[in-house]
Amino acid sequence: MSKFRKKGNSGPAAINTSSLPDIVFMLLFFFMVATTTKEVDPLVKITNAEGAGVTDLTPFKQRSEIDFVYLGEPNHGDANLFEKGIAVQYDGILHPNGIHHIGQWKLEKFSSKPGDFTAPRENVITCFKADAHVPMGIIFQARDILQDLEFYSIAYAAQEMGNKTEYDIREQ
Amino acid sequence: MLGSKRDREDAPEINAGSMADIAFLLLIFFLVTTTMDQDTAYLRKIPKKVETTQQQQSQVEEKNIYKITINSRQVIQARDSIIQPDAIGTLNSRIKHFYLVNRDRKTNRDIDYPYYAFGSVELYQNNLDNQINRLEALENQEVIDDNTRRRIDQALDAIGQWRKKLEMAKLYTRHSGKREMPEIAFEAHIRLESFLDTDYSAYVAVQSEVEKAITELRDEESVQLFGVPYSRMNALVQQRIAENSPEVRMYQERMELIETLFPLKLIEVKPKR
Repeated sequence: MSKFRKKGNSGPAAINTSSLPDIVFMLLFFFMVATTTKEVDPLVKITNAEGAGVTDLTPFKQRSEIDFVYLGEPNHGDANLFEKGIAVQYDGILHPNGIHHIGQWKLEKFSSKPGDFTAPRENVITCFKADAHVPMGIIFQARDILQDLEFYSIAYAAQEMGNKTEYDIREQ
Repeated sequence: MLGSKRDREDAPEINAGSMADIAFLLLIFFLVTTTMDQDTAYLRKIPKKVETTQQQQSQVEEKNIYKITINSRQVIQARDSIIQPDAIGTLNSRIKHFYLVNRDRKTNRDIDYPYYAFGSVELYQNNLDNQINRLEALENQEVIDDNTRRRIDQALDAIGQWRKKLEMAKLYTRHSGKREMPEIAFEAHIRLESFLDTDYSAYVAVQSEVEKAITELRDEESVQLFGVPYSRMNALVQQRIAENSPEVRMYQERMELIETLFPLKLIEVKPKR
């Protein structure tokens, strides 16, 4: 009797899960290699501008030769508090002085680079990550300040448009 | 054999049941903290500040300027044509045209477009020799004052430049089989003007068209000369720049030649209104 009962209790055969860790590790390594870490959480709304033939910035990021400035409407709060309704984000903060703060911020960033960083100011790129509808006047204000401080390298962030041939531009 | 079997039986088994959990935890952490899209951008330089008065500004001839203006409604004027925002894609062929019109012409040139100069190995060698002679003459002077010293510096500068040009001409002649190397007028440039309230996306679209035009020109030339597109060499050099191997240096030389043949001179003008 007991022999029979035992057989009935065993139920469906258990699935062997010993290879599960391997599969998950494989996924993990794929994501570690294929992605880059987020530097800061964006505090402004950014719809990327699009363009063809853009340069990949990953090598510059690895050498910490690039600083990002984010421009756009703020995610929270009243946009009218900012000049022309455009907030400017440096690292983690929206600075009340907006674009006029960029000089001071760049100088602080440059002096806090590691000691073995011998690159001249010219080699540190300032990348503007701006919303598609940001007016160019602001960016040229920033250019003037950077020119005075001899940070001559800049970059206009854009997303690769791939096979698309039409630009997404607001008509008025 | 017998012994090993015993060992296996005796070794305590580590419980790997929680391994999957740990790996999942790590996986989810990376999924949350990373982004898939790469950061990409157009790299540009701000020109150095120069103190000039109004009178000192030398006038660049109209034919050497390709002027693009974007107004506050994203309508573009490129030279005399008006381009609506939905037709920006036609800009790159216009820019290519600007570069190529007079490229193979020594006579019968279009007077509205930049002229080309034709250099050759002999010409550059000649110029180099002249500068070396000049330097020797200057150094052999009996009195060397500040003025002479300045001229010596100038001569040294010129020698460096002609030497570079000479190397380029040799490289060009070797790969193209042509004796003369076409060089666009030094002053030829693209002038990009915008308004204070031009959209960033429109400005970037024009940058994209400029980049596209120049990349296509360079790629075509590079394939003709070396059988490899310029953009591929560029990507390779960017990746392996720290190596400093002979191969990388060869590619750098070739890229320099292509960049001299098709220079990207883009002047971004500060908007006034």
